[in-house]
Amino acid sequence: MKRARALLLALAVTLGFDGAAQAQSHDTLTIGISQFPSTLHPMFDSMAAKSYVLAMARRPLTTYDKDWKLVCLMCETLPTFENGGAKRVPLPDGKEGVEVTFRLKDGFKWGDGMPVSPRDAILAWDIGRHPRSGVASGESYRRILSVVAKDERTIAFTSDRVTFTYNDFSQFEFIPEHIERRLFEADPETYRRRTTFDTEPTNPALFNGPYRIAEVQQGAAIMLVPNGQWAAKMPAFKRVVVRAIENTAALEANLLSGSIDYVAGELGFTLDQALALEKRHPARFDFQYVPGLVYEHIDLNLDLPALQDKRVRQALILATDRAALVRQLFEDRQPVAASFINPKDAGYAADIAPYPFDLARAQALLDQAGYTRNVGGVRQNAAGQRLSFEFGTTAGNRIRETVQQVLQAQWRRAGIEVRIRNEPARVFFGETVRQRKFQLAMYAWISAPQSVPRTTLHSESIPTAENAWAGQNQPGIRNAEMDQLIDTIERELDADKRKALWARMQQIYADEAWVMPLFFRADPFVVPKWLAGLAPTGHQYPSPLAIEHWHVR
Amino acid sequence: MMRYALQRALQGVLVLVAASFAIYVLLGLMPGDPIDLMISGNPQITPDDVRRLRELYGIDRPILSRYAEWATAALQGDLGYSRLYAKPVLAAIGPALANTSVLMLAAFAIALAIGIPLGLLAAAKRGSFVDAAINGFAFVSAATPSFWLGLMLIVLFAVVLGWLPASALPLPGQDGLGARLLGLILPVATLALVEAGEYARYMRSAASEALAQDWVRTARAKGASRARVLFGHVLRNAAIPVATVAALGFGGLFSGALVTETIFAYPGMGKLIYDAILGSDYNLALACLLMAAGLVIVANFVADLAYAALDPRVSVA
Amino acid sequence: MSPRFTLPLGMLVLLALAAAAIPLTGADPDAIDLAKRYAGPSLAHPLGTDELGRDVALRLLYGARVSLAVAISAALAAVAIGTAIGLAAGTLGGRIDGALMRATDAVLALPVLPVLIVLAAIDTQKLGLPQSDDGGLWRIVAIVALFGWPKVARLVRATALALVNRDFVRAATALGAGRLRIMAVHILPNCAGPLLVATALAAGGTILYESVLSFLGLGIQPPTASWGNMLTNAQETIWQAPWLALWPGLAILATVTAINLLADALQDRIAGRR
Repeated sequence: MKRARALLLALAVTLGFDGAAQAQSHDTLTIGISQFPSTLHPMFDSMAAKSYVLAMARRPLTTYDKDWKLVCLMCETLPTFENGGAKRVPLPDGKEGVEVTFRLKDGFKWGDGMPVSPRDAILAWDIGRHPRSGVASGESYRRILSVVAKDERTIAFTSDRVTFTYNDFSQFEFIPEHIERRLFEADPETYRRRTTFDTEPTNPALFNGPYRIAEVQQGAAIMLVPNGQWAAKMPAFKRVVVRAIENTAALEANLLSGSIDYVAGELGFTLDQALALEKRHPARFDFQYVPGLVYEHIDLNLDLPALQDKRVRQALILATDRAALVRQLFEDRQPVAASFINPKDAGYAADIAPYPFDLARAQALLDQAGYTRNVGGVRQNAAGQRLSFEFGTTAGNRIRETVQQVLQAQWRRAGIEVRIRNEPARVFFGETVRQRKFQLAMYAWISAPQSVPRTTLHSESIPTAENAWAGQNQPGIRNAEMDQLIDTIERELDADKRKALWARMQQIYADEAWVMPLFFRADPFVVPKWLAGLAPTGHQYPSPLAIEHWHVR
Repeated sequence: MMRYALQRALQGVLVLVAASFAIYVLLGLMPGDPIDLMISGNPQITPDDVRRLRELYGIDRPILSRYAEWATAALQGDLGYSRLYAKPVLAAIGPALANTSVLMLAAFAIALAIGIPLGLLAAAKRGSFVDAAINGFAFVSAATPSFWLGLMLIVLFAVVLGWLPASALPLPGQDGLGARLLGLILPVATLALVEAGEYARYMRSAASEALAQDWVRTARAKGASRARVLFGHVLRNAAIPVATVAALGFGGLFSGALVTETIFAYPGMGKLIYDAILGSDYNLALACLLMAAGLVIVANFVADLAYAALDPRVSVA
Repeated sequence: MSPRFTLPLGMLVLLALAAAAIPLTGADPDAIDLAKRYAGPSLAHPLGTDELGRDVALRLLYGARVSLAVAISAALAAVAIGTAIGLAAGTLGGRIDGALMRATDAVLALPVLPVLIVLAAIDTQKLGLPQSDDGGLWRIVAIVALFGWPKVARLVRATALALVNRDFVRAATALGAGRLRIMAVHILPNCAGPLLVATALAAGGTILYESVLSFLGLGIQPPTASWGNMLTNAQETIWQAPWLALWPGLAILATVTAINLLADALQDRIAGRR
């Protein structure tokens, strides 16, 4: 009875009855995100929710803009070899390094009025390279050999190698020296528990962006207000509230009821949810689907005898109709990927197309590989080995489980049996994938534009018991040419030559078929009609890095 | 009695100590440590970083020595630092426990306040339409998943009617007692409705049995009023199973209600424990789980005392 | 037999028969049709289709095989263990009661989630167990029984405590009846009320519980259908297709109702009413 009535109401909503949408003044922008940040210290525990919130309140030296070009945020001009901002320098050990000099924009201040200075960069470097500070990717700080303050606004960084990313300081976070130096020096090992970012996150001196954090409701919401010391374009909203709602159905209810204005594209709806919402409310929101850097793929474990045969690997891909899958499940909003390189990336080779759906060729390849006998719909080879695999992903991720079942059905038609065995994320990543106990594993990578796949494709990065399962080359790829390409490309400064190397990498990746590419996940941006100026980036540096341009239409 | 209580308290402490060890080992048995979780989404971490972090967090040491270290500190009142919430464990638990207590106590009280009278009424009018209706309610309550009920209540009262907020906590800047109470209505209703049916069923069953006893017929025959018989005699005699079930419900209070909390974006213990376990925040998980275990033990102890109070023929000591 | 027995029993038997017979039709409950996702009811699909265009009615019947089996066997297992322990504790009393009840407390205090995660990681093949084709059915039964018995044990013990000092039990003891006989003949039948309620509610609770387990990969693995995983999937499609939660919900409601009515009738029969 109660059920029936609620169902009718749900139907009414489904059919587009908006109910309680309210028109109010837009002094406050309330944003829903699906995760609450843990620590607010920019250097510990990388986490999408934290990057999202801090992007409103802090600015790094550089970032990639919405067109995936490296640009200055705190610096005046981007230093390059061409403009003299960067130069090769000999190192004491005889190798060659790079010195990059940044000049900070005038008027950049922390929220308490103290100017941002090179000393803040030196503190960040000190924390980052300290072996016991607990910074996760300490390696990137240790590659910087020195940070020198040339004057109050000029900093020179010297790196230990010449790489094409020499002027990318997008992940280099300045830490306010006048607040944090004292705490860090007292005891570097426990600094991460005593930092002001966590003990007093509303201290204005921690923020140098257009907003500063004014209130934190643990696990629920963070309120930001304009930073009075911000010298550039003033942001439009008097208050920004970021509210964490993990359940995506509840997130949608909050949006429709008007208790939040906007759901962050980076951390909000699933794609199919947004597609369904668009059908019901085409007029109320603007819908943008931006394929990003989250690369969904299936790793094939190359330790399995069957998967050591390239023909079997290729047949696995050829037997699936991924184009139909993305058309019918995602309305082509996230196109089939050809490799790990995003089409928007500078290194993308447009002439390498994804494998087509070609059942006949898949069948022929499997026949050639010796799997000729058909027993109960499953292929076997002469030795009686069945072409059968276990296929795992993170349990409870509905989109992945949906894709998984479609693929299972498609493979069945080629005589390949796949048994689904999903596990909770921490078992799946913590053990099955990490220790390479999987046969087929579907999951995603997140990377930055132009990131070199050293940890994922280089043979040094195969996780083993000896290296404590470190490294992320899960399929177990050993390919001398790929190893060499990775080593070379890092040091290649000529963009055209680099493009050729990238192209060769993609060609090998496609030909060898160690990994079955699925798609780059698209972030659905569901923006209310009145909100303007918001530009999705499609990479890991989120849209609020330009929040001062968001305004009421 | 005093001696019994002391004995039970001592046993309770022993069970808790054993539980702390069992839980610690259990947490260690879970595959995937905090470092694994850090790496899984970040290809930029190098093998050297992994070794350094494992050593720094002490994860490379055997579980027994880690437990010994934790236990020593815990006995001195230091429950450690929550990695996930970036604050001392007690500071992380504080707000979550406050939130959960309000939600769960209210839901618990309302579920009892609905379930017990309905069960009693059904027993008194056994076989009637009222009985059937109450049973129907109880069956729906027992068969309804809380996520579904919660979402439907949000759809109805927040989206369509716009009377109540969709999230339980008011936004920063709009906080106030009124706003808090308004936000609690839907989650409390969700929990109370899915729990009330169970109490009604136990009450109905127990009261039916009591009503069939000879002494009730005698009391009625002697001219005691129906209400007096029901509330004076039957309720008391039927209360033992209900008290048992209610104590179990109360014992689960500190564990929070994960699903309902998640749907209503309410940061309580259910969410805290879930995050701590899935995020391998050992210190936080251990403290929360021990608190929850302690409440289970206390609630069952209180139930044992209540049996003797409800029925003088029961002796537990 | 009175209709109070035959009606609910008939309903359950009918459901079980339909579930048992459905493979005879040869229809494939896992047949995917992406062109027909989220279709409404039609002649071809009387209850519509799900997120993969599969027939919901067919999956509901196949799901009944899993869900009914799990519900009934898990509930009975939990009740059997709980009754034995509760009876022993309540009747024998003293140290035995203390030991059994502290053990019960310990299980109640055992955190469910870490146990489930550890279980999810255990590779049944490595333990020498055969590769199961039932999609994890017996693992679910074991989990529900493990976490379900303490409640039954406490209920039975509480009722037994109130009974051991009653005159009729004392009289039986005085007449030299053995402890086992007292438990079986005098105490157990008088615990029937709460016991039957607990069993009937546990059957419904188990089906809902399975939906939580499938969220952790411990439930029935896809593509096998169960009412629990149909509910879980429906949770995320509640805006696109709210009715997808309704059908398994109604099936669970019907089952819960039938089992509870059966329990009521049984309780009355034992109490000698009507």
